[in-house]
Amino acid sequence: MPGLATFAPPYSMPSVPHGDSAVREASAQAHARALNDFLAGIELKAFRMARSALRHEDDALDAVQDAMLQLARAYGERPAQEWKPLFYRILENRIRDMQRRRTVRGRVMAWLPFRAADEDEEPDPIAQAPSDEPTPGRRLEIEEAMRALDGALEALPRRQQQAFMLRTLEGMDVAQTAVAMGCSEGSVKTHYFRALQSLRAQLGDFQT
Amino acid sequence: MNAPDDRSVELEAQARVLLAESVTRIDGRIRSRLNEARQAAVAESLRKRRRPAFLHGFLLVPTAGAVAAAVLVAMVLWPHQPQGGLPVSDGGQVMAQDLDLIADGEGLDMVEESDGAFYEWAAAQADVGNSETSS
Repeated sequence: MPGLATFAPPYSMPSVPHGDSAVREASAQAHARALNDFLAGIELKAFRMARSALRHEDDALDAVQDAMLQLARAYGERPAQEWKPLFYRILENRIRDMQRRRTVRGRVMAWLPFRAADEDEEPDPIAQAPSDEPTPGRRLEIEEAMRALDGALEALPRRQQQAFMLRTLEGMDVAQTAVAMGCSEGSVKTHYFRALQSLRAQLGDFQT
Repeated sequence: MNAPDDRSVELEAQARVLLAESVTRIDGRIRSRLNEARQAAVAESLRKRRRPAFLHGFLLVPTAGAVAAAVLVAMVLWPHQPQGGLPVSDGGQVMAQDLDLIADGEGLDMVEESDGAFYEWAAAQADVGNSETSS
């Protein structure tokens, strides 16, 4: 696994483990590989969802990082099939915490006579390179469509946004989405349907 | 009742394509930080798994030790705490007045200069106080 190839062990272990310790070490390594594969498969989508909800890259990164650690600490021993809904449930809780904190901070800042300069960090020139480059005209069309979709998604109520992102971007089924959102499958269907209706109303004849 | 129509299905498909495209465009800085976060989470999981079973209970020892020390200190100090607030004399008067006498220089002078007459007077005052409270 490339991710684990450069992975430094937390502390040194005997080079040739014996008996139970060998079995335990093999089990730990297999578990670590499974967790690494799982997190590698969802981290970009999770970040995309967090960024839609928080509208801030660094906050979204913090939320995903916290969710990863929390999953490893508290739920790493659970069956791997349960990781995805659990992870997204943790992530949603983290997003809500951040949104609450931001609301409180906004109220406090509104009372201050002056405000700090723009907190957004300076753009990193090295980090701005996109993954692949379509033609400039096509790229412009896609970017416009993305902006429109982002705006429409951000205007959705949080639960509708969450249901739509989990179903559409992450590809989770209704049952998994219900576990991730902590609600019934019926509620998931309702949130998803309303999200679709709202997006249609906002985007009209939406073409990519 | 919530069955999407053709336009909704089309919108859903287009949104899926766009969202997937936006994921591929996430820049290198974000990808690098996500990779670091993932490695930290995997390391945490590995640490937890490698920890011997007996250590799970052993890690509670510092907490248990702190609680035991706190209980021990409380038991040692408990007898030295005043019982029920300020001491009260037989006549029901707060003996804090005696503290005032000790702190007061005139009171000490009175004790030093006294002869037996003072003690007789004090005893008489106490008898008067007792007879008043009993009546």
